[in-house]
Amino acid sequence: MTKTEWITYIKVLVITALFASIGNWISTIRAGTGNIVTPFAALPGLLLLLFITLAGLVIYNLLNKVFGKKNLPAIAYISLIAIIMTIPGFPGAEFTASSINKIGLLPLCTPILAYAGISLGKDLDTFKKQGVAIVLVSLFAFVGTFIGSAIIAQIILKLTGVI
Amino acid sequence: MNEHLKDWKVHALAFVLTLIAELIATQRINLGITAFSLFPMLYVLVFGAILGGLKVIPKEMMETASPYIGISVMLLTAKIGSTIGPNLSKVIAAGPALLLQEFGNLGTAVLAMPIAIFVFHMGRAAIGTTFSISREGSLAVVAAKYGLDSEEGTGVMGGYITGTVLGTLFYGIMVSLLCNLNLFHPYALAMACGTGSASMMSASLAAVVDAYPAMEAELSAYAATSNMLSSVDGLYMSLFIAIPMVEWMYKKFTTNNKHYKDGKPITKKA
Repeated sequence: MTKTEWITYIKVLVITALFASIGNWISTIRAGTGNIVTPFAALPGLLLLLFITLAGLVIYNLLNKVFGKKNLPAIAYISLIAIIMTIPGFPGAEFTASSINKIGLLPLCTPILAYAGISLGKDLDTFKKQGVAIVLVSLFAFVGTFIGSAIIAQIILKLTGVI
Repeated sequence: MNEHLKDWKVHALAFVLTLIAELIATQRINLGITAFSLFPMLYVLVFGAILGGLKVIPKEMMETASPYIGISVMLLTAKIGSTIGPNLSKVIAAGPALLLQEFGNLGTAVLAMPIAIFVFHMGRAAIGTTFSISREGSLAVVAAKYGLDSEEGTGVMGGYITGTVLGTLFYGIMVSLLCNLNLFHPYALAMACGTGSASMMSASLAAVVDAYPAMEAELSAYAATSNMLSSVDGLYMSLFIAIPMVEWMYKKFTTNNKHYKDGKPITKKA
């Protein structure tokens, strides 16, 4: 990654984290459970998310030099680092997991999908052309995963004598 | 440095959309027999589509925002990863049936890809739609591998919207029907509920529990473990198995197919 790319990445990551923390705050207020997470309370979790993401990007860039085009996407390394850092027994695992847990999955998705929403307009024509097909094929995909898992589970449960 | 500040409008708009969506908050729609929820992340997509459709957002802004999805989604990957670590020991303890049924998630491609090609003559969007149930993690995978503004990106975004709007409702109804068919043992049905989406799992599980109320505790445990497994293996399953598999199927199905040329659908003249 070039210097300009790094600046863009860091800028967008920090801004998204900031928006998510404010969205998370509103979301915890609107949930009405009294368990309100202010952006300040979410700060350790946000910094950890940023750290994990940047560490994953650094590893991705280092391995790019070794593997070139065969390298895995950066998200594979980001996910792996996040998993390792939260396995019980890893130094600070409990703190890491509980800090990140203060930021809800759904409020984190909102600013990401806001960018998706803003850029959606340019793909609207493709959507119009293929919309019905995509909706129906998606529903078949939903049926497929359920039936696929049910068939395998049924066979293995029978073979292992559980049912 | 100035070039890094000139995109402020994109971020400002993203912020405003996020604020409005979170203030509206999750809305639960009750239809008597079944219920479903609308989430803030769905509103921002709809707002964006409307503003884009009305040409309020200039094309330049759309193009600036597009790569930001792929960057910001990395935070989501880190977040999802942090929920996996604490559960890793449970995965190992889950038992053979629970572990192996994870491969059933490839059923998305087995069932949906032939329909996408032979019925709808879809282009490469089919790859994005059929390799998974198009949840948040899948968006990250496609963003990384193809870019969300590719055809595959359109496919997974379409699947994502479909799942967000119709997913829980659809699973609730489909699973009720399957329970009535008596083809599967309730344990198998419960394990199948874990597709990697918490809301879809809840809807499916509710239908199974409704049909077999006496087994509620076991059924919930199986469904939750299976769902956790799917979210653990989802990203790696997609990268290493599901995407290569749908790529292979797409190639296989479109060669020597009269509706396709060089791997692209032949568009009919209107």
